Amino acid sequence: MPPAPAVDLLQGTLDLLVLRTLRTGPQHGWGIAQRIQQLSEDVLRVNQGSLYPSLHRLEHEGWIEAEWGSSDNNRRAKFYRLTRAGQKRLGEETESWERLSGAVARVLRLA
Amino acid sequence: MRALARARHLLRTLFSRQRVERELDDELRLHLELEAEKRLRDAGSVEEARRRAAISFGAVESVKDEVRESWGIRFLETLAQDLKYGARSLRRNPGFTGVVALTLGLGIGANTAVFSVVRGVLLRPLPYARGQEVVALHQPAPQSGIEDIGFSVKEVKDYGSLTPSLEDVVEYHSMNFTLLGGPEPQRVRTGVVSAAFFDVLGVKPLLGRTFRKGEDAMGAEPLLVLSHAYWQQQLGRDPGVIGRHFEMNDRVHTVVGVLPPLPGYPDENDVYMPASACPFRSRPATLDNRQARGYQAFARVKEGVPLARAQADIATVVERLKKEYPDAYPQGLAPTATLVSVHEEMVRSARPTLLVLLGTVALVLLIACANVANLTLARISDRGREMGVRAALGAGRVRLLRQLLTESTLLALIGGVLGLAVAFLTRDALVQFAARFTPRAGEVRIDGAVLAFSLVATVCTGLLVGSLPGLPAFDRLARALTGDGRSTAGRSRQRIRSVLAVSQLALSFMLLIGAALMLKSFANLQKVDPGFRADHVLTMTVDLNWSKYATPERRVDQQRVLQVFEPLWDRVRALPGVVTAGTAWTFPLNGAFSANGGFMIEGVHHDGQTLPRAEFRGASATYFEALGVPILRGRAFDAHDRADAERVAIVSQSLARRHWGADDPVGRRISSDRGQTWARIVGVAGDVRQTGLAVEPPDVVYASFGQFPGYTSTLFVRTIGDPAALADKVRAEIRSLDPQAAVTNVRTLETIRHDALASPRLTAFLLGLFAFVALAISAAGLAGVLAYSVSQRTREIGIRMALGAAPGSVLRMLLGQGLVSVVIGLLVGLVGALGLSRLVSGLLFGVAPTDPMCFLGSAVVLVAVALVASFLPARRATGIDPILALRTE
Repeated sequence: MPPAPAVDLLQGTLDLLVLRTLRTGPQHGWGIAQRIQQLSEDVLRVNQGSLYPSLHRLEHEGWIEAEWGSSDNNRRAKFYRLTRAGQKRLGEETESWERLSGAVARVLRLA
Repeated sequence: MRALARARHLLRTLFSRQRVERELDDELRLHLELEAEKRLRDAGSVEEARRRAAISFGAVESVKDEVRESWGIRFLETLAQDLKYGARSLRRNPGFTGVVALTLGLGIGANTAVFSVVRGVLLRPLPYARGQEVVALHQPAPQSGIEDIGFSVKEVKDYGSLTPSLEDVVEYHSMNFTLLGGPEPQRVRTGVVSAAFFDVLGVKPLLGRTFRKGEDAMGAEPLLVLSHAYWQQQLGRDPGVIGRHFEMNDRVHTVVGVLPPLPGYPDENDVYMPASACPFRSRPATLDNRQARGYQAFARVKEGVPLARAQADIATVVERLKKEYPDAYPQGLAPTATLVSVHEEMVRSARPTLLVLLGTVALVLLIACANVANLTLARISDRGREMGVRAALGAGRVRLLRQLLTESTLLALIGGVLGLAVAFLTRDALVQFAARFTPRAGEVRIDGAVLAFSLVATVCTGLLVGSLPGLPAFDRLARALTGDGRSTAGRSRQRIRSVLAVSQLALSFMLLIGAALMLKSFANLQKVDPGFRADHVLTMTVDLNWSKYATPERRVDQQRVLQVFEPLWDRVRALPGVVTAGTAWTFPLNGAFSANGGFMIEGVHHDGQTLPRAEFRGASATYFEALGVPILRGRAFDAHDRADAERVAIVSQSLARRHWGADDPVGRRISSDRGQTWARIVGVAGDVRQTGLAVEPPDVVYASFGQFPGYTSTLFVRTIGDPAALADKVRAEIRSLDPQAAVTNVRTLETIRHDALASPRLTAFLLGLFAFVALAISAAGLAGVLAYSVSQRTREIGIRMALGAAPGSVLRMLLGQGLVSVVIGLLVGLVGALGLSRLVSGLLFGVAPTDPMCFLGSAVVLVAVALVASFLPARRATGIDPILALRTE
């Protein structure tokens, strides 16, 4: 069976996944993209054209903050970290996503 | 916290822009490197891995752009760009920029200045605590034609105790007393008040305290509270003034407080004393007499009680008083009771003038806006290609419009700064102007609210000026590129320009009519015959310290007063250059003095009837000669009309005509005290405008000064030469007769007359000035439109002339075009003027707000100016060389 084509993420969903990924610790842009792809078993593909605007927007909103540090091979990288406001936001977003996806699933099952 | 973080982030993005960009580069480069390393295994070569990573990433610049979009500063960046372009384009046209900024500056400045007065006088809350609750009480008697009969001491008390909706009712009157204790005796205007007066007003003292409860009781120690102005000017802001003693009315008064700066209301008082300290008010005859209504009443309405409730309450009180004390209302006197907020009392006479002025300057600003919009349109036409190229390079319509708006707002802001300068420069003059109408003029200042108004006016001006020409300018933008921009876009632009020119003319017409009405009104006032000859008369107020001239019962000691005035007349008359000298209770055209009362004619009226009323004036034998008032029948007073002779009176012509018709009143007797004493009429004098130039001459009964002298009186000296030159000599004569007499208001009768005209003169001047400015701007606007039209029609005119049209006919055609604008402008302006005429009617004297002469005259002026304005560009058109004109295209 050929692998199913990867799905592009909607902006709101991407924000949610970025925030969720950062809950395990600070990470740079590439790392975030890799992690989302890995965890979704390559079903979700993160488009760089949306990832970086999303990161900067979240930073601008104050949900994540950035810090320059060293990456694995000692290269300068911009690490993003979840702020307290971001944690709260993640909770809200997760809850609303679960409500939404649960509702969609119910409709698909029953309709 | 989050808001703070956001703000910090935004600021960093804005101000460390280069660093932020570098970091973005680094961030994306790292991503590409990591991606390439990941793909190295599959790709085989480093180059191939980099290529694949780059492909998977997409266009780096567009990603960057999207990131920048997320920074939330795009709007600001565009604005900065617009500002840069705008400033550059304004710098390139210093002439245009200068003219426009100046025009808008004058417009905005005039609006700011007038608004500062409107704000200070009409809009600002009174400088009293909860000032909206403070009211003045009145007892008008409409049946007897009296605006306010005033209150007696007992009545004020009754209103206080009987009106549930009023917190407190206080008594007030103002008198001049002599204050001793300074370097020389001084006349001080003294407010005589209940102890609670300042509590009712809601005034806290600057120093010391105000009066306390019980300090206005009979027998209480006399105290003084000083006004801020008096403390500042006469006592040099002495902080130790509290506790100082001054002698007034033969008693020692102790200063207990100093007031903060306040409006000169109810009067411009120097000092205040408790009611019991006033020797006149505390006479038993005054205290017990319900008819001794020489006092005013003020009150504070209880918190939350509507004025209408309080009004209804006092209406009940007055009915009750009339029923309970019928004897206190003789001569059919039937007063009602009303209350008016003191704010209204203070600003009532200023409001119509201020609103008319505000409307006028608003119209001037509109005209200026229309003119600038017109100029801008002309510039857009010139910049048609520039705009076209910008549009072709991808500038959106909205972006171009925003560019225009930015430019015009920039211009308006320059104008706004100039306007503030104008407002600051004209403030003092405007305050002086306003002071003629209201005691609140001193509160006028350029404060935050005025600055905010100025800013809003500026921004609105900028948007208006920018959007008027901007909206249609892009309709056919594309055509500008192809070079035939003038065929269609030109025509729609031309239409807009004509509409703008017509509105300018219409607004100018309205302003011209307003100015014409004011000028005619002023001319009428100037033509008014005051009833006296104002030339060559010196006047001054002579105040004798009453306590030296009073009987033990505190009545005027007539003999002693006359012992000063009779020799004074003789001595002044003996001065070289003096024709005659006389005295009266006050000077003519004095709206602040009133001695109005009822009188009976013997054999006609009886007690209990509603009596006719007249103004009473004491006048010396030579008063009529000194003022140049003709004696029409009988005789003037003479030296024999003194206390020991029969009481005599002279009546004014209007009074004689009203009551005796063509008959001769001389020899008849009248009484002003319900028949207790009678005075025989010995003469009829010409009518004199005693109370004001705009007020019809009142019916006057003159009493002989020899029988009714006053210790505060006005001396009139008719001279041969310059009256002002005699002032010092006359003053010296007064001082030699009584060194304690205070001499004030030294001026000529001409000056009194001139001052009576000051406020209408200024109003007419201001309206005339604004109308002139508006006319000049509009004329320039019309000329501009025609000049533009000529330049657009060069080819057409060239063809006409080539085909044999005479220059005269071309001239007529273009003048006709200008004339059409004028006629439409006149019609629109006429409708507007008729609609607004009601507003100015309150300011006019002897002119109907629809006066045909003013309308016609304004129309003639407008047409004449418009013709001249059209003639210049039309003349140029006739100079067009047909051959050159045809070659230009």
